[in-house]
Amino acid sequence: MGLPSGTRNYTYAQDMAILRTKTHWALFTGFLVLLFAAPLYMGNYWLGVANLIGITLIAATGLNILIGYCGQLSIGHAGFIAVGAYTSAILTNRLELPFLVGLICAGLVAGLIGLIFGIPSVRVKGFYLAITTIAAQFIIIWVINHWSALTGGFVGIKVPYASIGGFVFRSEASQFYLIMLIVVLCTFFAKNLARTRVGRAFIAVRDNDLAAEVMGINLFYYKMLAFFIGCFMAGIAGSLLAHWIGFMNAEQFTLTESILYIGMIIIGGLGTTLGPILGVVFIRLLQQLLTVELVPFLEKSLTALPGGFATGVTPMLFGLVIVLFLILEPRGLAHRWTLIKSAYRLWPFSY
Amino acid sequence: MAEFLQLLISGLAVGMVYALIALGFVVVWKSSSVANLALGQLVLFSSWFTYGMLVQANFPLWLGFPVVILFALLLGWIIERFALRPLIAQPILSLITVTLGVAYFVEGIVTFIWPWSVDALPRLFPIEPFHLGAAVVSQEYVWVAGISLIMFVLLTLFFRYHKMGIAMRATADDQLAVQACGIPVTRIFSRSWMFACVVAAVGGILISSIGGISYGLVETGLKAFSVVILGGLDSFVGAVVAGPIIGLCENLGGGYLTPFLWAGVKDIIPFIIIIIVMLIKPYGLFGEVRIERI
Repeated sequence: MGLPSGTRNYTYAQDMAILRTKTHWALFTGFLVLLFAAPLYMGNYWLGVANLIGITLIAATGLNILIGYCGQLSIGHAGFIAVGAYTSAILTNRLELPFLVGLICAGLVAGLIGLIFGIPSVRVKGFYLAITTIAAQFIIIWVINHWSALTGGFVGIKVPYASIGGFVFRSEASQFYLIMLIVVLCTFFAKNLARTRVGRAFIAVRDNDLAAEVMGINLFYYKMLAFFIGCFMAGIAGSLLAHWIGFMNAEQFTLTESILYIGMIIIGGLGTTLGPILGVVFIRLLQQLLTVELVPFLEKSLTALPGGFATGVTPMLFGLVIVLFLILEPRGLAHRWTLIKSAYRLWPFSY
Repeated sequence: MAEFLQLLISGLAVGMVYALIALGFVVVWKSSSVANLALGQLVLFSSWFTYGMLVQANFPLWLGFPVVILFALLLGWIIERFALRPLIAQPILSLITVTLGVAYFVEGIVTFIWPWSVDALPRLFPIEPFHLGAAVVSQEYVWVAGISLIMFVLLTLFFRYHKMGIAMRATADDQLAVQACGIPVTRIFSRSWMFACVVAAVGGILISSIGGISYGLVETGLKAFSVVILGGLDSFVGAVVAGPIIGLCENLGGGYLTPFLWAGVKDIIPFIIIIIVMLIKPYGLFGEVRIERI
């Protein structure tokens, strides 16, 4: 995309900068201040929504690296999140290790499990990989449900609050800071990853893996790396989710949840940093609007509603949104946003 | 021995239904190279629809089944026309995810109309068990296996002799050549989806007449993927051979491994087979090994 009018780069450092102009810096700082001041003007309810969005965003950023940059389709993301959540839950609850150890281990274990299920990606792609990851999802959830000595099985497992040093993250506001800090770190990491050697290799693999291999990119290494990073972030998100909810049960990690994650990054825009943010906010807010605001309202005002309305209307609408986005705007909201931005830059001479 | 025979027969019967559902996938994949991940939801939807016809609307069997088949045809046509047609020649990622979107949507419809999520179809087959040596075999399984076999024969005849069947095979072989011969390819796509929905419906009825209707039918549809993977994505023969193998592995494994492992190991065996096949022979037993060029 073109630069804002009148902006010139005179050094390589300027050329590489993410934030180029003073306006960029002002807007970015303003956004961060606004974000981290959120507990001042948001109630507990909306902070809870923001926390859920943050956690989802970490997982979606990981999935975006895997699908959007490296082109390896994974339909088992909820399974990998579950691995992270349960690792953290078991370490902090059963072994009483500190939260930070649980968080890091959650990421590592999820990453390693991701590596195992990612191995077939070296030989196959597309649909084959999709099926492998679906199988991964079912196997992971099955193990969690049946290894009850460790995971609590169908009953579930309690998770203590997150704590660092002596400080316990008990309130929504304190958890908000913890989650948002990690969200910002992850987004920063993802944005920069895409600009490095590794990110370029990922994109080359996505566009044509055979050509990439011929050019000297080690396919095995980079595909495994993408799986590791993607699942590592899923694990971190899972750990935060576990400590945020306080109770884990495998029912929170269904296949439909995995599909929803793919829906989010497609709606947002694959292979962009902004994409997951827009997609996650869009889907989670829509979900909140539907389940908390709209459905109870409709149920109250229309008495003759069919019984399955409350549970059925959300998946119907989500499915519809995914299909419509794929047909009408396959490049997602991020692309729409770039169009708006360039129209604004060229105004009044937009064409 | 008696237990072995029982597991053998039920495994073969269930496996043949998997093979039937898998055929629907293979036809769509071959003609339009779209991977239909909504199989499970299609099975679920058509089973519930059968329930709606036979129990709720109280249709007799001779009227209920044709209505279900018509409904499946319509469903296939709608999905192809409104979700897949606009995405022709898009990258494979979009094609896969659009079927996921369809799956999500269909699941929503099902919970919308039938929120109670578990029910049983009326008895379609006589239940008296019959004796085979020392084994007691439930008659349902034999009926299911028989009907699946008849379906296979009919489908083989269709693909071999019917004009549309030949056109579909030709499309699978070479789309451009088919177009040059004046066969409308989009119509073939549409027919292949209708076909997939019909076999999913028949498979769904057969499975749910034994096990009842529940959300587990989605998993049944997904297990059909293990058939497809083992047999090879683009092979009819592969699906028919791999189906009974998967059914046998599932039932025998479930029967003999459960004492050593956790309960419910039966449900996970097809997925473990998927992973193993992926690691050893990713293109399946009969699948065509794709040679890629830059």
